[in-house]
Amino acid sequence: MQLTFPHRRTWLHRVNPVVKLVLFSLWFFAIILIHDFSVMINVAIGSVLLLIWSGHPWKRLLLYASPFLLVFVSSTTGMMFFGSGETPWFKWGIVNITEESFYRGLHLGFRALSMAAVGLLFGLTTRPVDLFYALMQKAKLPPKYAYSFLAAMRMIPILVEEFQTLRHALKIRGMKKQGKLMTIYRTWHRYAIPLLAQSIRRAHRIAVAMEAKRFAGGAKRTYYYIIGFTYRDIAFAALTAVLFAASFAAGIQWPYIADITDVR
Amino acid sequence: MTQKIAAGVTNLKLKFAGEDALLFKGVSLAFRPGEHALLLGPSGCGKSTLLQVLSGLIPGSIEVPMIADEVIVPERWGYVFQDPDTQFCMPYVDEELAFVLENLQVPREDMPARIERHLRQVGLSLPDSHVPIQTLSQGMKQRLAIASALATEPEVLFLDEPTALLDEEGTEQVWQTIRSLADGMTLIVVEHKIEGIIDLFDRIVVIGPAGEVVADGAAREVISLRKKELDRYGVWYPGIWDDRPSLRRSPLPAPDVPPLLAMERYRGLRGSVVVIEAEQADVYPGDWIGIMGDNGAGKSSLLLAIMRLIKTEGVCEVAGRELKKVEHLAEHAAFVFQNPELQFVTHSVRDEIEYSLAVDGVPLEERRARSADLMDALQLLESADRHPYQLSMGQKRRLSVASAIIRGQRLLLLDEPTFGLDARNTFAMLDLLERLRAEGMAIVMVTHDPRIVERYCTKLWRVREGRLTHAIDVSTPANMAASR
Repeated sequence: MQLTFPHRRTWLHRVNPVVKLVLFSLWFFAIILIHDFSVMINVAIGSVLLLIWSGHPWKRLLLYASPFLLVFVSSTTGMMFFGSGETPWFKWGIVNITEESFYRGLHLGFRALSMAAVGLLFGLTTRPVDLFYALMQKAKLPPKYAYSFLAAMRMIPILVEEFQTLRHALKIRGMKKQGKLMTIYRTWHRYAIPLLAQSIRRAHRIAVAMEAKRFAGGAKRTYYYIIGFTYRDIAFAALTAVLFAASFAAGIQWPYIADITDVR
Repeated sequence: MTQKIAAGVTNLKLKFAGEDALLFKGVSLAFRPGEHALLLGPSGCGKSTLLQVLSGLIPGSIEVPMIADEVIVPERWGYVFQDPDTQFCMPYVDEELAFVLENLQVPREDMPARIERHLRQVGLSLPDSHVPIQTLSQGMKQRLAIASALATEPEVLFLDEPTALLDEEGTEQVWQTIRSLADGMTLIVVEHKIEGIIDLFDRIVVIGPAGEVVADGAAREVISLRKKELDRYGVWYPGIWDDRPSLRRSPLPAPDVPPLLAMERYRGLRGSVVVIEAEQADVYPGDWIGIMGDNGAGKSSLLLAIMRLIKTEGVCEVAGRELKKVEHLAEHAAFVFQNPELQFVTHSVRDEIEYSLAVDGVPLEERRARSADLMDALQLLESADRHPYQLSMGQKRRLSVASAIIRGQRLLLLDEPTFGLDARNTFAMLDLLERLRAEGMAIVMVTHDPRIVERYCTKLWRVREGRLTHAIDVSTPANMAASR
């Protein structure tokens, strides 16, 4: 099983992962504070446009983004159908759409979309190895945590394969007829114990193998990849700032819907 | 003047937590620089533990209570473990080697050249060393493991059953690599598949079941003098196949009975990709089919397709009926997975064997009687109340067969049932299967070992690039030879 797919490397891949991490965290924080409807739409459009540099084809992006689109729809409709407001548009049973709840719902949806796009972009343009090297070199992350994470990631495909085999085995061996709750509990039990047993043993073996390769958690080390800061980091920070500034300016100057600004 | 010692231990006493008996009661061994030593012994005798003590991994990395008058750990050593999938922590070949170099604080500028050199040393000529490790074959992974051991620039190389989990081709590659490195290197090796590599070693140490040194001397001498012990310990000593009492190849079954399994234009798919294709193939009661083919050719997929665990197209009749559901098939066909632990669902050997009967609603008394019979036949009776995970590898495999066949199915599918087993357990497994076959069961088995096919199977199925290309009657040796 493979976890990575072939893709183009863009300049975003070369931005220092720590810079990306910090900027994207700020991004998350900033969009929570945006209450202007038009600004929110602008920021969301900007976030989605950034995906051009993810290096992955559009079709695959859509596939990756599908769970997030679901989040968009569910958070939008949830707020839209059941929110309170003063200008009623439509009422059917408990569904009560008002003008206010409609825009508030859309606002929430765009917020979720922006977060999803940015999160996806980070995931797609950052190799875990680069991220942990950068964290070790620039954020003083102790190597023992960094390499534990990297070793653990190598075990994920093996885990998936074992899960598949377990499913096959349980299908063949059959299940005792029992109450529904009991069945759920037993099924959980039956997957968890063998998977855990295999994983613990494997983790132990990898740990010993790493020490046999002279890995010592706290010792000084050199690095194969030097993840430094480059002009791309500044470019990316500047791009982020411009994107937000432009979104604000445009949103306030030319609102999409004249009388809808603050949706709170 | 005392002789120089590369690695050694004097009066070692060692005990595993939770066990009453000492594993070693005062073992002393010393290895000269440049010596090529092979440690042999039954599984569980402590060979691997000894290797870990000599390298300092015990007690440095693995906490095991031990005392010794003296332990001489080599200054620079490399270690290669058994399992190709659990000794790397990085995703790419170059990064894994770089990991070792980083640990040794090799300057960054020197790394690419060093990586290149170590890969060349083990014959891994990759056009670009930035290759995902998971795309390598198991044999290549083990050579990468050797390369990363070499990156420590070792005086002593410890090898702990480096080929136990490899097929023939991989085993060949790994030993070729080790041979090319042997000059001037101290080798301390644990291995039980020793055919064809004896000449590499100048010393063999045999360790007995109680952790005592049974024999220690020149390689050839030990092999010829201690054959009986080696056989008892499950070592694959050279010529073991010729020493087997008799090659029981029963005649092919009469084909006047209907086939147990009949495939016609049968395909197995993963997603929309055809991973295995069989034009036409039959299996009759009393048949023992050996499926052979390269890694990834589709051998296991064929078994999964027969069991309808993957999507299928075409005709596949089991016991004369086209059964599409796994649950219905499971009443006629038993399936044994390669890793027995993934098919265990209960907490004791007895429950494990009885599980399918309990699902079918067979009364307790009958269940007890049938499981007792089967445990008796498979030498599992004294472990009846133990947890399946506590068994030895050989016992686990036998248990997985027992729990699969308890319903009395007539077709048995197995995925490499002897993989990684020592000689003793391999022959125990093969004898068990032969007994089942003689009773009229049909066996379809994936294997890597041509000697098993040669001596036990009635037919050989060759799988190449996702196609079942040949079904060859191998009940006479001439056919087997021609099939190669």
